[in-house]
Amino acid sequence: MVLAEKAPPHGGTHGSTRDWRGWALDRAPFLVACLMLLVIVGVYGSYQTGVFTLDELNLDTSAAMTLMLAATGQTIVLLRGGIDLSIGGMISLGTVIAATRFTDDPATVLFWSLFVLALGAAIGALNGLLISVLKLQPFLVTLATWSILNGTAMIILPTDGGSVPGWWLGFGYLTLFGLSSPVWMLLALLLFWWWFRWTRLGITIQATGSNEKSAFLSGVSITRVNVLTYGLSGLFAAGAALYLTTQTGAGSPTIGKDYILPSVAAAVIGGVSLFGGRGHLAGTLVGAFILTLIGNLVFVLKISSYWQPVASGVILLLSVLASSLAEKAARGRSA
Amino acid sequence: MPGGFSQRRIRSGTVMDLVVATGLTKRYGGIVALSEAEFSARAGEVHALLGENGAGKSTFIQILSGAARHDGGSILVDGQDFRPANPDAAQARGIAAVFQELSLIPDLSVEQNIWFRREPRTLIGTVDRTALRRKTLELLHKYDFPAIRPDRELRRLTLAERQIVEVAKGLAKEPRVLILDEATSALPAREAEWLLKLTRRLAAEGRLVIFISHRMAEVRAIADRLTIFRNGRTVAAHDAGAVSDGEIVTQMIGRNLDRLYPERLPTATDRVALRVDGLSSGRLSGVGFSLREGEVLGVGGLQGHGQRELFQALFGAAKASGGIELWGKPASISNPRAALTGRDGIALVPEDRRGQGLLLTKSVRENLTLAVIKRFTDKGFLSARKEEALVKEMVNFLRIKTQTPEQLAGTLSGGNQQKVIFGKMLLTEARVLLLFDPTRGVDVGTKGEIFQLMRDLAAKGYAILFHSSDMPELVHVADRVMVMRNGRIAATLEGERISEEGILGAAMLESEAA
Repeated sequence: MVLAEKAPPHGGTHGSTRDWRGWALDRAPFLVACLMLLVIVGVYGSYQTGVFTLDELNLDTSAAMTLMLAATGQTIVLLRGGIDLSIGGMISLGTVIAATRFTDDPATVLFWSLFVLALGAAIGALNGLLISVLKLQPFLVTLATWSILNGTAMIILPTDGGSVPGWWLGFGYLTLFGLSSPVWMLLALLLFWWWFRWTRLGITIQATGSNEKSAFLSGVSITRVNVLTYGLSGLFAAGAALYLTTQTGAGSPTIGKDYILPSVAAAVIGGVSLFGGRGHLAGTLVGAFILTLIGNLVFVLKISSYWQPVASGVILLLSVLASSLAEKAARGRSA
Repeated sequence: MPGGFSQRRIRSGTVMDLVVATGLTKRYGGIVALSEAEFSARAGEVHALLGENGAGKSTFIQILSGAARHDGGSILVDGQDFRPANPDAAQARGIAAVFQELSLIPDLSVEQNIWFRREPRTLIGTVDRTALRRKTLELLHKYDFPAIRPDRELRRLTLAERQIVEVAKGLAKEPRVLILDEATSALPAREAEWLLKLTRRLAAEGRLVIFISHRMAEVRAIADRLTIFRNGRTVAAHDAGAVSDGEIVTQMIGRNLDRLYPERLPTATDRVALRVDGLSSGRLSGVGFSLREGEVLGVGGLQGHGQRELFQALFGAAKASGGIELWGKPASISNPRAALTGRDGIALVPEDRRGQGLLLTKSVRENLTLAVIKRFTDKGFLSARKEEALVKEMVNFLRIKTQTPEQLAGTLSGGNQQKVIFGKMLLTEARVLLLFDPTRGVDVGTKGEIFQLMRDLAAKGYAILFHSSDMPELVHVADRVMVMRNGRIAATLEGERISEEGILGAAMLESEAA
């Protein structure tokens, strides 16, 4: 077109020249998160020997995996522009069911594991349905279901306890090619995401979070998107619960709340927008690593463990600041 | 308008009409949006749908595109009953809409938006990005689209570029019926012309294009037939050649509009209200001019030559260097708050009223008084009585059609929303007004009222800087017209020299040579 060629050039580049600055600005929060992770690992490594080994990777991943699973579901919900507080209740309930129902017979483990996963997906789908049909805030709906699930867990098992078979406890120590099963799970999560974000469902969820009205006008069923989004989140929370029992060997009706806000924080640190439409799981997983490693760091630095939440908060602020500055810079370029 | 539309053809009535609506009725709560409306259009024609804002056009196309369902009456498409449950169902029957309120996703790329939910896929269910790119380029090429990078994120595009992507998205569905809802209103002149040519071409391919525009010249240039809505009813349907502009306008507004443009009395004094010297900001370089008390100074030129930057710089919304004097005193306008203050201040009617000017979920009253809340405070407390009186005065003065001042701004028609923004601006008491395309998407009746209002304000001593993307508005309303080119003022036209030819000439002369 004649006009476009003659129009004054815009801030961005045209044609095939790669625009590295724009590329970096678009991914600034993620890049900042990676940088923070490197710094933390560096400091950790300088106080502790053996940090840069496969053993350490296996260990840290197994410590971070519960949060990673929970945060994967949370990332999908955030991408939709929602939030899921009920994962706390689901995680508690999941561990309690596993610790009271699993016996040495592998059949019970298989059956009740599938039961927990199905329950998670169903509760999540119910969240999505309530949000769509009653047109309620996700925050309120999932706050309510969190409370309900939490109470149910208390009724089943009032205090921490129960047990799981010994071989189930050993799951995290299984290795293949030197990598532990949690590391393989991490790779599987990344593979899942690489696939999911390019499926129509993934794109539709992102699009609905980006602009719900536009998505609706484009023919998206908002109810269907909500049911699937929160269903997936519930499914991942149930997975997190099962994984958690391989670590603790017991059920806990209160443990889930420790994962609600960290799952959001991990996503935000990794560059996922709270307003929906933007972000990637890779960022969330980096965020989950950061939050987990801060604990290690506080330990090796021999300072009071109360500094751990302080440090997490500072890092959260830094990443929010980084993304806001990057957005401003990017806007200045395209204006 | 371009003269290249001689291939206009109107088929005789022997062809069965493609879309036929009879007795179409739609209620929203107690409000009747459509009342037994009639519509009939054939394949292969451009059918203009005309009416003031609030006449029922939007409701009609929402029903046709599956975004809303009708309560009564029937629609036949190809002689078969048509009652789509959702936009997908309408698409399946070959009907696609290019919405005025865009249906695009800010965080997806241009190509993802064009093929949203219809992406080519690989064996594992992911989007086939190679095929996606290929199909996008094919589409853009086939219809001679203005250059747009397929991989650019939508939120990084200008309003005009987004509108073009929306058109591409509609065309990608290969529809038999394409609805263009004010698709040209956001476009610069040359892109608008491209779209008009494209519209003719689509009709020549045997499609039906339902075309909605508030620009009579465009309707004149391309429509074969037209249907006029008023207050939710069909008042007339004509062959385009058989009816005059005057008759159409009269039928749209239900009364004689003596004239669209008010009388232009020489109200400018010698007092300079706004003097700008060597203003530079982004694309702007060294702009200087003076705007006098009682004057309407037009700002014209091809879109994207610094008009927006000029307004933003003057309002303090963009960083700028250079001198600005208000009423003879040097002014430092570093942010919109600094620009607003009192009788010596500057007030702006922004381009994107939904995004920048108006809070849709707040009431008319709240919108009017938001910027001037201080004036209603009495020792720090809000004085409801003071506020109420001023709001009432403003609603009456501007003839804002609202049931009560508490009605939500989002429920008003476009023209009335624009009036609320005018009211908000007038309540600041600023006497230098910046109007950036104030009639965009506003119906013809309200347009006339806005022009009259502008001249009335000028007569009261206000100084008005006025940009419009519709050239005749500048020609008929402004006392002088500055034409911008490449961030500079290329010419200032006065008196007899103010004409569309004069503006275009000044706007294009150098850019043609460059």
